[in-house]
Amino acid sequence: MKKFTLLSTIAVLSFANPAFAEMDKMDHATMDHSTHAEMVMDGKADGAVIAKPGDAHVSVNGLVCDFCARALEKTFGKRSEVKGIDVNLETKIVTVNFNDGQTLDNDTLTQIITDSGYNVEGIHRVE
Amino acid sequence: MIRIFTTLIVAGFMITATAEARPVSYPDGWTGMFQNNGDRNSAHIHYSPTAKTSIGYKYEHWRDKEYDLHAVQMNNLLKRWNKPNSQANIYLKSGLGVVDGKGGDFLDESDVAGFTGIATDWEDRRYFVSYENRYTYAGDLDDFYQQSARVGIAPYVGDYGDLHTWLMVEVEHNPEVDDNFTVTPLVRLFKDTHLVEAGMSNHGEVLFNYIYRY
Repeated sequence: MKKFTLLSTIAVLSFANPAFAEMDKMDHATMDHSTHAEMVMDGKADGAVIAKPGDAHVSVNGLVCDFCARALEKTFGKRSEVKGIDVNLETKIVTVNFNDGQTLDNDTLTQIITDSGYNVEGIHRVE
Repeated sequence: MIRIFTTLIVAGFMITATAEARPVSYPDGWTGMFQNNGDRNSAHIHYSPTAKTSIGYKYEHWRDKEYDLHAVQMNNLLKRWNKPNSQANIYLKSGLGVVDGKGGDFLDESDVAGFTGIATDWEDRRYFVSYENRYTYAGDLDDFYQQSARVGIAPYVGDYGDLHTWLMVEVEHNPEVDDNFTVTPLVRLFKDTHLVEAGMSNHGEVLFNYIYRY
C-alpha cells in the first residue's frame, strides 16, 4: 500500500507540468462576448452591488463554493481601484465596482481572477 | 536508515518538483485549520504566497500512538478543473519534521518524520465527493498508511453570503488497526470565511473541525 501511495504521487506529479496546467487558461481575446450581454444587470446585481457605467461583469468558471469564492473578495479588496465586488453563485458572475475615475483593464481583471484560481469566461462592461 | 533516506528523498523531490506550480489558496492568504477526531487533534496554519501552493506548520497529537508530530507542510494544487457549474482539484500534501514521543514505549524519544499523500475533490453547489490518502513515516516510532473518502449533499443551495449547510459521510480506512473502517456522518456549516464541521463516528468518537481564512 505504501508503494502504491508513492507511485500514485509520482504519477500525479507527472501531470503537474506547468504546460499542462496552462490548458485551463482561457484565451479571453478569442472569446465571443456577445452572450454575456444578456447576463448583465444594469442596476443592482444580486441585490448587493449597484453597477454603474464602466463597472465590469465577469463571467467566471469554477465559482461553485462560497467559502472558496471569498478569495476573490480578498484579492480584489487589495486593489485601490476597486470599491467592492459582488459574487452571484447562481449566474457565476462577479460584478466589479470601481472607484470613481478608476478602472482595471480586461487583461488585469482576467489575471486577478486567474491568479485566484478561477477561469474567466468573459467580461462585459456596463454602459 | 534507509527508510529515513527514502523519506527525505521523496519529500525533497516533491517539494522541488512542485516548486514551480501555482499556489493553493488565494494569493497572500492565511488559513487556520483545527481538526479533531477519534485518532488525533491537529492544527495546521498555512500561508499561500500564490494560488497554487501553501506552506505552513502542522501539529498532530496522536492520542493512542502517544506521540506528537511537528512538520513543515507544503500543499500543492496539482490540477484544477474549473467548469461552469463545478470544480475539481488534485492536491499533493507533504510534510517533513519530527515526531516526539509522549508516553509509553516512546516517552522522550524523537525522530525524523515525514508524510505525503494525494487529495482530490469534486463539487458543484449541490453535491460533493472527495478522496484523500497519506503515508506517514515517523522514524523508529511508527509508520502507517490511511485513506478517507467523503460524499456530501447540500439540503439547500445558498447564495453568496448565506449560511451554507452540507450533510456528509466520511469513511476512513486505517489498515493497521483491527476495526479499520470508521464511518462518520457529519454536518458542515460555513459562512463567510468560517467553516465548522461536527459529527460522530460509528465508534462513538466525536469529529469537530474548524477552518478560518484570513
